[in-house]
Amino acid sequence: MKAGFIGLGIMGRAMSARLIDGGHELYVHSHKPAPKELTDKGARDCRSAREVASHAEVVFTMVPDAPNVEDVLFGENGVAQGLTPGKIFVDMSSISPIATRDFAGRINQLGCEYLDAPVSGGDVGAREGTLTIMVGGSEKAFARVKPLFELMGKNITMVGANGDGQTAKVANQIIVALTIEAVGEALLFASKAGADPAKVRQALMGGFAASRILELHGERMITRNFEPGGRIELHQKDLNNALTGARALKMSLPNTARCQELLNACAAHGGSGWDHSAMVRALEGLANHEIGSNERQKGAA
Amino acid sequence: MKIAFIGLGIMGRPMAGHLLDGGHELFLHDLKPVPQDLVQKGGHACRSNKEAAAQGDVIITMVPDTPDVEAAIFGPDGVAQGLAPGKTVVDMSSISPIATKDFARRVNELGCDYLDAPVSGGEVGAKQATLTIMVGGSEKTFAHIKPLFELMGKNITLVGGNGDGQTAKVANQIIVALTIEAVGEALLFASKAGADPAMVRKALMGGFASSRILEVHGERMINRTFDPGFRIELHQKDLNLALSGARALKMSLPNTATCQELFNACAAHGGSGWDHSAMVRALEDLANHEITSKERQKGAA
Repeated sequence: MKAGFIGLGIMGRAMSARLIDGGHELYVHSHKPAPKELTDKGARDCRSAREVASHAEVVFTMVPDAPNVEDVLFGENGVAQGLTPGKIFVDMSSISPIATRDFAGRINQLGCEYLDAPVSGGDVGAREGTLTIMVGGSEKAFARVKPLFELMGKNITMVGANGDGQTAKVANQIIVALTIEAVGEALLFASKAGADPAKVRQALMGGFAASRILELHGERMITRNFEPGGRIELHQKDLNNALTGARALKMSLPNTARCQELLNACAAHGGSGWDHSAMVRALEGLANHEIGSNERQKGAA
Repeated sequence: MKIAFIGLGIMGRPMAGHLLDGGHELFLHDLKPVPQDLVQKGGHACRSNKEAAAQGDVIITMVPDTPDVEAAIFGPDGVAQGLAPGKTVVDMSSISPIATKDFARRVNELGCDYLDAPVSGGEVGAKQATLTIMVGGSEKTFAHIKPLFELMGKNITLVGGNGDGQTAKVANQIIVALTIEAVGEALLFASKAGADPAMVRKALMGGFASSRILEVHGERMINRTFDPGFRIELHQKDLNLALSGARALKMSLPNTATCQELFNACAAHGGSGWDHSAMVRALEDLANHEITSKERQKGAA
């Protein structure tokens, strides 16, 4: 199939490579020249998003935020100018569900289908083709694009209509942020009460409090490994989608709001680029106590 | 081994039954008459905690809260009056880590060992002998009592010194409450945004947001099955241990505090006896929207 890919950052580059390896003819565009690793594989570097859309039957985007998607679609020399009826536009960025419905409506008016298909799983998932993909749109468009999704991900769910894929991604990021905070409060309490947080984590792993986040991010908090991973500034963007959405929908997300504030406090201390598990550092600041500091003192004594 | 078992409620009764089935001689006491099934298995009903403690080499307590443990051990005709040097007191109740350190010291002064060994896994875990047991005390005492723990549980960890078992249990209950709240905010957001919460839960299950709580309690929220399970009033007691502990330790547990307030709001609406997953009802009240209400409207239309 002739496919297009716009946005060749860490994620988009790896996802594009998998589409080429899967035997598809790929037209790419980014604000920088296409990476050599892609052109060596046969990717055609186009001068604009419009040019990509005029060649490809299915056009993917993977860009940072809603204004970037809007620019790719409706900006000067954008995708909309290259689309002809029957083509499919697939946005794999993580953006606002509300903006998504607007974009989808405008693309539909051009006689084209729109899928929102945000992912989770990070750069490792993108390279290994194991992303979780949450899709919103029509069953028909989903069926056509599914073989391409299967080159990029493993756990692929059609959640509902346009916007519902983005809504699922926001829900995912709410749970991830709030569970990081939960593990942070629990291990910090344990440490400040004088228990060994590593033993507490181990005791809890088999039980009802168990999660991948207790396993991976609990360990990061104990071993003080805050190299990203999922950067705080990206999670702030996701929680902003949640909180702006909540305001528009007229609902209260009390702990999401607090987690955003804790991430803001991390950013105030230079932590925009820390792994999101470093949210615990804001709690540690409030408690004037660092997880595991008792053990380190013991080790030094 | 001769074992005194004090507190024969929903949890203590099946736990004592497993010890009898394991071939041990049990001396039983409860504020209510000793259950007949335990007597028929050969358990001896005693008239007081003092009498049970005088007969047993190991004294196990399983009662509701900190004042109950204090009364059972140090009250009139309590365990302490029946203790002789060399015996071991094992408190399997979920109580304050700070009070536990005090109780342990007072029992040690009588020449006896003390273990705190709270459990998680609920009534089902107690009946099936699959409890998670989090232990605080000395290595030597733990080794001595471990064969008894193995008759009652599966995932048994010596966390550290006295109080550390209770600290681990508090940490467990913090994570469970805050993860319930996280899943509640996420599914409620999805529902209010117009997505099908059951599909969103399914899309998230394989990814980084997955947990036993998303699986089990996420389903309860969607199916509206709030029969306990684990009652809100019991989780309120556990979060009270966390929050009064945090105050004593001088630290902040912001989301634990919010979750306790949400439980309080449930209690205000008659929900003390609801399953703890019904915490979502307090969020639904704030949002003026119930997770499943859109589907109901569709069904009714």
